[in-house]
Amino acid sequence: MLAYTIRRFLQMFIVLFGLSVLIFVMLKMTPGDPAVIMAGLGATPETIQAIREKLGLDRPLPEQYWRLISGLFNGQIRAVTYHTSVWGIIFERLPATVELGIFALIIALLVSIPAGLLSAIYRNSPLDYGVTTVALLGISTPVFWTALMLMLILGVVFRVLPISGRGETIGVWSFVTWDGFRHLIIPSLALSSVLMAMNARLTRASMLEVMRQEYIKTARAKGLREWVVIVKHAFRNAMAPVLTNVGLQISTIFAGAVLTETTTAWPGMGRLMVEAINRRDEAVVLGLALFLAATAQVGYLIVDLMYAWIDPRITYD
Amino acid sequence: MRKIGLLLLAVGVLGLLSLGQEPRYGGTLVIGSSQTFKDLDPRICNDVYSMYVINAVFDELLSLDPDTLKPAPYVAKSWEISEDGAEITFYLHEGIKFHNGEPLTAEDVAFTFNWIADPANASPNQTEFEWLQEVVVIDDYTVKFITKPDWAPYAPALLGENYAIVPKDTVLEMGDEEFNLNPVGSGPFKFVEWKRGDHITVVRNEDYWLTKPYLEKIIFRPIPNLATMMLELETGGIDIADNVPAQDAKRFMENPDLGVVVQQIPSLSYFYLGFNMSKPPGNDIRFRKAVYMSFDTTAAVDAVFQNLTGLRAYGAVPPALWANDREFLKTIALSEDDEQAKALFDELKAEGVIPPGYKAVIYCPPDPRRVQISTVVATNLIENGIDAEVQPLEWGPYLDLLYRSEEKPEGEYDMYVIGWSGSPDPNAFLYYLFTSENATVGTANNFSFYMNERVDTLIKYAGTTLDPDIREPLYVAAQRIIFKDIVHIPLYHYIETRGVRTRVHDYRVSPTAAMDIVSPFNNVWVEEG
Repeated sequence: MLAYTIRRFLQMFIVLFGLSVLIFVMLKMTPGDPAVIMAGLGATPETIQAIREKLGLDRPLPEQYWRLISGLFNGQIRAVTYHTSVWGIIFERLPATVELGIFALIIALLVSIPAGLLSAIYRNSPLDYGVTTVALLGISTPVFWTALMLMLILGVVFRVLPISGRGETIGVWSFVTWDGFRHLIIPSLALSSVLMAMNARLTRASMLEVMRQEYIKTARAKGLREWVVIVKHAFRNAMAPVLTNVGLQISTIFAGAVLTETTTAWPGMGRLMVEAINRRDEAVVLGLALFLAATAQVGYLIVDLMYAWIDPRITYD
Repeated sequence: MRKIGLLLLAVGVLGLLSLGQEPRYGGTLVIGSSQTFKDLDPRICNDVYSMYVINAVFDELLSLDPDTLKPAPYVAKSWEISEDGAEITFYLHEGIKFHNGEPLTAEDVAFTFNWIADPANASPNQTEFEWLQEVVVIDDYTVKFITKPDWAPYAPALLGENYAIVPKDTVLEMGDEEFNLNPVGSGPFKFVEWKRGDHITVVRNEDYWLTKPYLEKIIFRPIPNLATMMLELETGGIDIADNVPAQDAKRFMENPDLGVVVQQIPSLSYFYLGFNMSKPPGNDIRFRKAVYMSFDTTAAVDAVFQNLTGLRAYGAVPPALWANDREFLKTIALSEDDEQAKALFDELKAEGVIPPGYKAVIYCPPDPRRVQISTVVATNLIENGIDAEVQPLEWGPYLDLLYRSEEKPEGEYDMYVIGWSGSPDPNAFLYYLFTSENATVGTANNFSFYMNERVDTLIKYAGTTLDPDIREPLYVAAQRIIFKDIVHIPLYHYIETRGVRTRVHDYRVSPTAAMDIVSPFNNVWVEEG
């Protein structure tokens, strides 16, 4: 297991290196000189050149790449348009996205697993049709639209929740204050809609698959009560693919956060990414992309390791 | 003019409505900004959104009279201009203190402006001060601005610009980056915190030298999604929205129960369709004329702005400014005449000015309104026998295209749609967009490469004096030549549109897009609740 984990970590570094080169090339291929954009309309060639020199944009590409990467690793590189260190700005925005992601995931799991379970148990019933239809809607509705609808219903029509922003915080967390918690509900619900739908469909499919297995018949033949068969025998085994999906959803959460955060004015990393791209702040874009990729990789690794814990038949050499 | 009159009337009615109530001290004002804040150091800030906060925290050397759009005293209580226009001496108010107790003196003014003008500091505002040679301290409360010899005529430009003053010693002690994140000004509000991406809070400066601000606190919130901002405005989550789309403006106007008043004023902006005059077919006036006659400009502008947030333009100088010559320029604007347009296009095709297989590409930034207008133009060109398409580009590639390269100085575009916002002086529009000095490859703003010696002389000569009686006819004459030459097809002046909750009083939308909460001309207050 240890050797496997080390190997995976090494693989992760290779992936991150490849990714960093790819993103750097993409940044350089994106039309538009960052110095011109930062200088704004009407800037003199001298000003643009001064910005170029200040940011090292006049240096050869390999040197620029090395400057960015080494700067990210030793923490020396600055987020030029934020006037702080790259990691400073990323970690400043991280708690908002973590909070949003975790709440969205909790809501998604709390709703989707029972829904998927019931849907599988009462297969082809109106309940099943209801769950699958809602899940389909959840998958196909864009997050920003869901967010807007939630704002309209909960914020404007019923006026029970604040519409946007993060509200009051203690330290870096908003869920610890009542005002902050209320601000968290709409973005979390919006972001959870996609996760919820995916997980409900997967739980249903996985449960149906497991319920067809021979050992379920055996359990029933032994005279066990139906809920014991479902919860103790079927449910645990059906959870493996759902768990994998939850791990894979780390990247879905980050992707969804870009739209959710922009729509609900939530000051997280998704919005930071959009801002940094618009400002052509190369160090922030690269740092953020590598951070998100590394987080997703670690998430996948944890899921793989948890497999072995859930299913003792799985081992890693 | 009728529309402008109505807008001014609306602002006047608002003023009258608030007459019956007594201002009160206290309360929090929440301002929604459609973009995120970038910089709080006025020396490097070049976006209007961050300026909302800067206006509250800092004081400017001069203010702008909202009625006349002429410079008025602020930190400078008076000023003198030398006869040759090469020197301006400002006399400052005494007793102004920064929020940390440091007195505001001529040293701070000189430091602020010399820093911006020094190219080594790479301030995005440096361009505005290219004419400045040096700011010299005469005594504690007197400061002199000296222009470069060949830029002397442009000294008056300073009077149109508003730049806030930073405390020299504090900046040197804190360092530029730290000061940008924790600004210390001398303005009506003190900076408290900047939760990036979420809000900025400022509180009343109890010792403000000009007047005691009514408001206790202001919270500035960036809300990039306009639909969200409108919901916040409707429910009272914010008190002022800096941008209201036409359909929402209409909704608020038709439903006074929503408690939102829409305040509008034509801004100091000019949006136009430009031609590349350095190569065919844009260098042939018949082509420019035919494009102009291919579509109904007024109908296109009215359709896009629903007669609410955009005013048809006839010239470059916005109607809020003097020397706009709007009534005359209206008479030389071309109307849609498809037959004549087709005839001209046929003539140009026959002569080879329009080559076989020619496709007119209209470039524009990714702003939906400009894309829509460009689409109207392209559709009408197709109807008149010219293959055409619209190419919206992100700002980066768009500027790369317009600035051109040394390798391709004639540029790779024929038509483009862009806008220009300037300070409240006609020179800010005419000099940058139409003189030969600005038709250089690299970064200049005369993207049409229009070069006309008479126009150059008129605009340059107009800059040699401060006497509007001399300047106005010169600018008028220059514009008449420019628009007879159809260098641009003037499209619209954006109407600055803000949504304001009815509990807010003494707020007035500014044509410069500034967010004046406390100034020599107003002091915003809010009703309880």
